Amino acid sequence: MHTWDQKQPIYQQLADILLGRLIDGDPPEGEAMPSVRALASRYLINPLTVHRALQALGDNGLLESRRGLGMFVTTGAREKLRAAERERFLKQEWPRLQERLRRLGIGPEHLNWENPQ
Amino acid sequence: MNVTAATEALVQAVNLSVSYGAKRAVDEVSFTIPKGRVVGLLGHNGAGKTTLMKAMVGLAKTQGQLSVLGLDPVRDRVALLQSACYIPDVAILPRWARVGELITLMSGLHPKFSAERARALLKRTSVGLNDKVKTLSKGMVAQAHLALIAAIDARLMILDEPTLGLDVLSRKSFYEMLIDEWCDGERSVLISTHQIEEIETLLSDVLMLNEGKLVLSLSLEDMDRRFVALSHDAAVADQMAAAHPLLRYRTGPGPGGNAAIFDGEPPADVQALGQRMRPSLVDLFVALTRKPELNRTQF
Repeated sequence: MHTWDQKQPIYQQLADILLGRLIDGDPPEGEAMPSVRALASRYLINPLTVHRALQALGDNGLLESRRGLGMFVTTGAREKLRAAERERFLKQEWPRLQERLRRLGIGPEHLNWENPQ
Repeated sequence: MNVTAATEALVQAVNLSVSYGAKRAVDEVSFTIPKGRVVGLLGHNGAGKTTLMKAMVGLAKTQGQLSVLGLDPVRDRVALLQSACYIPDVAILPRWARVGELITLMSGLHPKFSAERARALLKRTSVGLNDKVKTLSKGMVAQAHLALIAAIDARLMILDEPTLGLDVLSRKSFYEMLIDEWCDGERSVLISTHQIEEIETLLSDVLMLNEGKLVLSLSLEDMDRRFVALSHDAAVADQMAAAHPLLRYRTGPGPGGNAAIFDGEPPADVQALGQRMRPSLVDLFVALTRKPELNRTQF
């Protein structure tokens, strides 16, 4: 079974999982999200919690609800997400990573910029 | 639980008690179960869970008020069982029967049972219609049983420790079927279990019994709002203890692995000593149902 951490509410954790998938284009823009019930049984989460997670993504403008059809990925959602993730990386992760690289004496020349090994 | 939904409550209990001789197994409990909910009934062995469930289907004599689907469970038992289904903790399916025969049997017994739906539900599982119950694994029997009762067009399902003794994959399939095939936003289900961590995310509400008394009845959403869990360093343990948390416990190894649960927001200076966490149901359960003599304050 999926394990959930104790740091954040469950709906927030589910929203984060769904965000990660949206960045990878799953589902692609303009396509329907899986139904509340499908997500509820896949992650074994109460449907009300799933609904809350989808609503959070809707509030961010990443999903839109189409009457009677469910939630759809909005146009531009992926780019919006990537921009937000880039911003988060540069502001939060990069300074920490930079500090660590400096301490270990790793320069650009030590890093493989081509293919992931 | 939501009071505004009381008009649509499937179950309403007011000062409900059930006694066995001089012993009160259920002691003055009041709660409602609205429609469309997944309610966990938690309690140690002997806390009164099974007795409360039996009372809801008219199998125990009660004092106080109890209305299930608008009916009196003892007086209107036959009518009630048309719209409420129940798997008791001692549930068994006849070992000699084939699954297909059980469907025929149910069709004859229950006016709201759909043989077609039962067969469709069984298709989700690896149980075949020609299989004899005695050849099935414990997990398959539980799934077959769920398929049979979920094929009843009822509004309330009561499951008394339905996954006891099942392995993790069987438990997962059981709950997948329950969520997928039963929970439609209208019907409700009441489940008792000791595997609290596993079903926490499935639940919309929780009822917690301790020695017959209801110690907690609220939605998981309200639980997140009402209870505050703080993880903290061992160095501030004394200050945490002085703020009178419900419970202090260890979350992991090392000096950082300490936590405390508070009922309501602790003062800002106390909150500043730790980091806020999601209060987990199992920690809350321990906090609210421990016997006082087991109440360790030192970790």
